[in-house]
Amino acid sequence: MDVTVIAETSGDRLHPVTAQLVGAVVSIGGTPTVLCAGGMGAAEAASISGVAKVISVVGDCFGTFDGGAWAEALNAVTGGDVIIAAASSTGREIAATMAAMRGIPIIQDATNLAPGISVTRPIYSGKAIETSTVTTPCAITLRANAFDAAGGGGSAEVSTVNQSADVAVAVREAIAKASERLDVAEANIIISGGRGMGDPANFSYLNEIADIIGAAVGASRAAVDTWEEIPHDMQVGQTGKTVTPSLYIAVGISGAIQHLAGMRTSKYIVAINKDPDAPIFGVADYGIVATWEDALPALKVELGKL
Amino acid sequence: MGIAVLLKQVPDTTAKISVSGGRVDESAVNKWSMSPYDEYALESALQLKESGGGDLVAITCGPSRAAKMLTDAAAVGADSLLHILVEDISGLDSTQVQSILAAAVAHSGSDIVFCGKQAADTNAGSTGPGVAHLMDASCVTMVSEVVSDGSSLTAMRASSDGNERVAVSAPCVFAFDKGIIELRRPNVRGIMMAKKKVAETLSPADLGVDISVSSVSIIGHNPPPQKPPGQKFEGADSVAAVVGKLRDEANVI
Amino acid sequence: MAYEALDFYDIDSLLTDEERMVRDMVRDWVDEKVIPNIEKACRDGVFPDEWRVDLGEMGILGAPLDGYGCPGLSYIAYGLICQELERGDSGVRSFASVQGSLAMYPIWDFGSEEQKNYYLPKMTTGEWIGCFGLTEPDYGSNPGDMITRAEDKGDHYLLNGAKMWITNGTTADLAVVWAKLDGVIRGFIVEKGDPGFTAPEMTGKHSLKASVTSELVFQDCIIPKDRMLPHVKGLKGPFSCLNNARYGISWGAVGAAQSCFSSAREYALSRIQFDHPIASFQLVQNKLAWMLREITKAQLLAYHLGKKKDDGTWIAEQISLAKMNNVDIALEIARMARDIHGANGILDEYPVMRHMANLESVKTYEGTHDIHNLILGRHITGIQAFTREP
Repeated sequence: MDVTVIAETSGDRLHPVTAQLVGAVVSIGGTPTVLCAGGMGAAEAASISGVAKVISVVGDCFGTFDGGAWAEALNAVTGGDVIIAAASSTGREIAATMAAMRGIPIIQDATNLAPGISVTRPIYSGKAIETSTVTTPCAITLRANAFDAAGGGGSAEVSTVNQSADVAVAVREAIAKASERLDVAEANIIISGGRGMGDPANFSYLNEIADIIGAAVGASRAAVDTWEEIPHDMQVGQTGKTVTPSLYIAVGISGAIQHLAGMRTSKYIVAINKDPDAPIFGVADYGIVATWEDALPALKVELGKL
Repeated sequence: MGIAVLLKQVPDTTAKISVSGGRVDESAVNKWSMSPYDEYALESALQLKESGGGDLVAITCGPSRAAKMLTDAAAVGADSLLHILVEDISGLDSTQVQSILAAAVAHSGSDIVFCGKQAADTNAGSTGPGVAHLMDASCVTMVSEVVSDGSSLTAMRASSDGNERVAVSAPCVFAFDKGIIELRRPNVRGIMMAKKKVAETLSPADLGVDISVSSVSIIGHNPPPQKPPGQKFEGADSVAAVVGKLRDEANVI
Repeated sequence: MAYEALDFYDIDSLLTDEERMVRDMVRDWVDEKVIPNIEKACRDGVFPDEWRVDLGEMGILGAPLDGYGCPGLSYIAYGLICQELERGDSGVRSFASVQGSLAMYPIWDFGSEEQKNYYLPKMTTGEWIGCFGLTEPDYGSNPGDMITRAEDKGDHYLLNGAKMWITNGTTADLAVVWAKLDGVIRGFIVEKGDPGFTAPEMTGKHSLKASVTSELVFQDCIIPKDRMLPHVKGLKGPFSCLNNARYGISWGAVGAAQSCFSSAREYALSRIQFDHPIASFQLVQNKLAWMLREITKAQLLAYHLGKKKDDGTWIAEQISLAKMNNVDIALEIARMARDIHGANGILDEYPVMRHMANLESVKTYEGTHDIHNLILGRHITGIQAFTREP
């Protein structure tokens, strides 16, 4: 089964999730060809074990992001039965557009694949898991960190193809993020605060801890809705960001069902809450029944020792 | 300028989802709502309509119960309503959904389409880009705001470094993220007006879309895997022990 | 969890689409604006001004009145609005009851065309707040013997006296005040700033803490001649207003009871004692079953009374029965819900103790529980038992 993998990039580098895409394809007996949009990350992609070949697709359209144009250019060099991309916002858009161009179905955000092709994915923001089969040809996007990454040491052939498309989206202005803090969607460790923090100024305690362990700072919907100072891009939960970090620390968050939907698939969850009955303890691997005022200074000291 | 907003009725984000007989039990859902991202699409579409004129049609593909959501859209200002009636949408594949919605947009004569970046049930995000392709329209996703400057439309979208203001011209599709715009609430006046707006109800066949064969078959639904019970500690004195476990047991720090 | 209103007999299916949409609009507003902020409002002892603006924007003030910019909704819709507001807090429902039934209604029914055109459009949008002055420090259940007097001074009226327990009094832009003119009760519109009129706030309440309660004091208060309500004389005026407000309360009490039931049920299912959820114990189930039974009966009373209001076939005694019964069971349900919550029931994390304290007021205002019994007693026997006089 020939599979086209759309490489995920971060800046002009290959995003590590690409190796997971390759790993998933190989695990169901596929032969992956990796397409690198704009040639970004092609050399790195070639070194992923199991990659049959890498096509560096070069064209003017890759200067700014226009999902339609990128999809058109990539589609022109896509072969095989299955298209695989990362379930990032750009990966989803490119894959969905390519699927529409080819008139084939797409399943987004898969967390498991089996030959057949059988696809497992969370639905209702993870409140249920759906397993379905899809006929080929098809497109599937894969959730980051749900699949084992293929190793390195490969040496696939890299070919370069000039292929562009008309760009319909013109960037007029770029507005940099207000803060230099890590985005919760990207972070491997997240420390989040809820309304239990009492005052938005108290998020500074979370920031201090985040700085020590390289974490992003998140917030519950209650906190975002209550305090203007807590911007929506910090919100973790069903109407905010769905995150799967390796460590999620929830402070003063009771664990409303919408919040749990956005973080329950984190690898490890630590909950700090003064209410021993708070629902957050139901999903926590390590629960600490304490006020944040008591727990955070101790946490700062302990993490500082590492 | 015709504006269409694509809406989907989904279990409210606060609703409990239960699985029975290998399928999500829709009858156990106690509250159905407009998908949250669609609410932002609708609000922004209303603002565009109010600033630049043009009719706003609210379109849904869904079962009979979704009619209520269309009426809700009318109550906040949608001019007309188009309901593509499909009682079980879970059996449709992405190609079918997009074909139905693109045909519905064409039927409405709209050339600017607003939708959510994904629906809160399937969380997929295929509809906006797919419909855009079928309409031969440009597509902008992760949008938080759209304004018209006469000749073209400018959208604010999330980028890897923050936000970007991008310009496109119609036909175009905007797929919305939750943004900073404040959603309007209905009021009694709007509700009274909504009574008079009757949805046009069509079947996929009326639009020339065949939904007899789906390329996706659902094998089953399961509740999310239960995690083993966690360990609970009393008091801030336990912080050191927990940090130790994170380091030695979980290996995450 | 999405709020699930107890509706055991499917009253929902009896509603029109419009009524359901109005109910959902108010329900969503209460979830979004009232419930997250009510405890702070109670602690601060304020009715947030933002709520006034929102209620006006939703267009629900003076719900069943039509014309003059008023909503023109059914009495059923008005009842549902009260139910949802009081699910949030009795103070919010009180605000809407006073504005709509006690201040807007008498102007709408008994006012001159000029008065209606001038006041009602401003009041339905919430731009102007109204209050209602009937009760006096020494005359509560017996308003007929009120002391407040108006004198005709030729080109104006002179008002003297005091009113007490006036919801919205201090914040109101106008008060509909009932006073005796030549021994006959008449309605007067007093505006904020009228010379001789003050409205000091009453403090120290353990109930309806998010509602403003005031005294109205008139010391040689000068009222222009065109401020008297021309079309009503005697106690019929204030009692007509009270009928509408009491009708709304009969629905509001259902909302408070639903809130308590919902909290008690959720708590009982999650609270583990002796290794089992307390909801699995018979004594707790007995309480929950009683609550469900009484709420269902109260809903049917309120709904049918609403139909009679819409048809115009109601009598005042039917309103007395619904107000008295529904508030009575709501208060008992609140107490029982507090009991099910154990010690947690006294915390402001749960709505039950707040509803309980509120409902003590609701039981007393707009005709005490006992007065409504006497109204029914008179209806049954033909013998009034309010006074010792024949």
